[in-house]
Amino acid sequence: MAVLTIPALLFGLMACGVVVALVMRRVPRQPAAATGDIPRGVARRTAVLRWAGVTIGVIVGIIAARSGDLGMGLLMAAPLFGLCALIGVLTGELTVRPPRGPTRTAAVEVRRIRDYLPRHLSRVVAAGGGVLLVLVIATTSAGAPDDMGHPGRSLARQCTFDTFESDGPWPGLFYTGRLVAVVLVGLLMAYVAVRTIVRRPRPDGTSDLAVDDALRERAARVVTGAVGVLIAIPLAGVSLTAAGGLLGISCAPMWWTVMGWGLLALAPASLAMVGWCVAAVLAPTDRTDLLARTR
Amino acid sequence: MTDRPALTVVTDDPTPPYEQLRRQLVDLIRYGVLTPGDRLPPLRQLAADLGLAVGTVARTYRELEAAGMVVSRRGGGTRVAAGPPPGSDPAKALRERAAAFVREARLLGADDDQIVSAVARELGR
Repeated sequence: MAVLTIPALLFGLMACGVVVALVMRRVPRQPAAATGDIPRGVARRTAVLRWAGVTIGVIVGIIAARSGDLGMGLLMAAPLFGLCALIGVLTGELTVRPPRGPTRTAAVEVRRIRDYLPRHLSRVVAAGGGVLLVLVIATTSAGAPDDMGHPGRSLARQCTFDTFESDGPWPGLFYTGRLVAVVLVGLLMAYVAVRTIVRRPRPDGTSDLAVDDALRERAARVVTGAVGVLIAIPLAGVSLTAAGGLLGISCAPMWWTVMGWGLLALAPASLAMVGWCVAAVLAPTDRTDLLARTR
Repeated sequence: MTDRPALTVVTDDPTPPYEQLRRQLVDLIRYGVLTPGDRLPPLRQLAADLGLAVGTVARTYRELEAAGMVVSRRGGGTRVAAGPPPGSDPAKALRERAAAFVREARLLGADDDQIVSAVARELGR
């Protein structure tokens, strides 16, 4: 039963995302009280849906962490939280409807994804994703079945001609298979969310493009932060578990020990990245507030 | 406000939206607001921003391309063509537009003060 909880949550989230996206496309446009209120109304609506996504993500993450066998739920909690946050952002962006009035204005501009992503955080998240990919490939290829037959759940080493030593848990195929699947789904959803952020129309009656651009930057920052959480927590978990495995083998070669200590050092860096990304999701500091205060 | 040039479509105007867009883009290119190599907004983005069908914007771009004012490349978007001749002196064009505006305002029965105040209001003064 517990084994089915994570896939059920994942499919449930994906289904929710698809259903919400379809419903939001058909929702009639909400009338604004006045032209000047429109960016504020959009900001409020997107913020409510974003926070709803984050809140649901926390709940789903806690449920996931408490379920699943052999630490699987703990591994999946962060990616599921990130997925929920992404669905919240995506839903909020889809509520912005195209203009319907008789007079419609658009700027002659080319909006690109890179114009809205936070530069430093994006680079750190991309680097974290690269490290996780390399680490997952390495640990998956090095894993061996454990005593219960779970593929890749232990690290084995032939110490002498006729003696073997193994240590587990090891982040091999048993963990990485499902982890990679969830992370890939998250990355795909993040791409859809960022593309929606960039391509959505400007709210009807937007007189100041800087306010709308700031709203897009805020949403893109939350998406980047959610992807960062989705990557950094599994990175911390995989590196710590792999370090434990490498350092737990008594007949390990020197380079295993060096690698183990290197992976131990990676864990605090990953946790620092988690802190940065969580801050981006929960308390995005950008120029939206500044612009709102000045208008 | 922004310094980015803007396109406006009036849906209850008898002129079709694609033609309204075409005229405005021709003016922006002719008067050098958009220079050779400048990229026009992607079709879907402009259509979404204006609440128009993608085909409407695509028709505008096709007509501009047929006139040699823009070049479309797969993957490279639509850009202002190199070397379209600047139509005329901007100062002269401004005088002509002002003369046309004053002529139409007179036909509406506006006096000098009303014309000046209408212009001032548009300028936000």
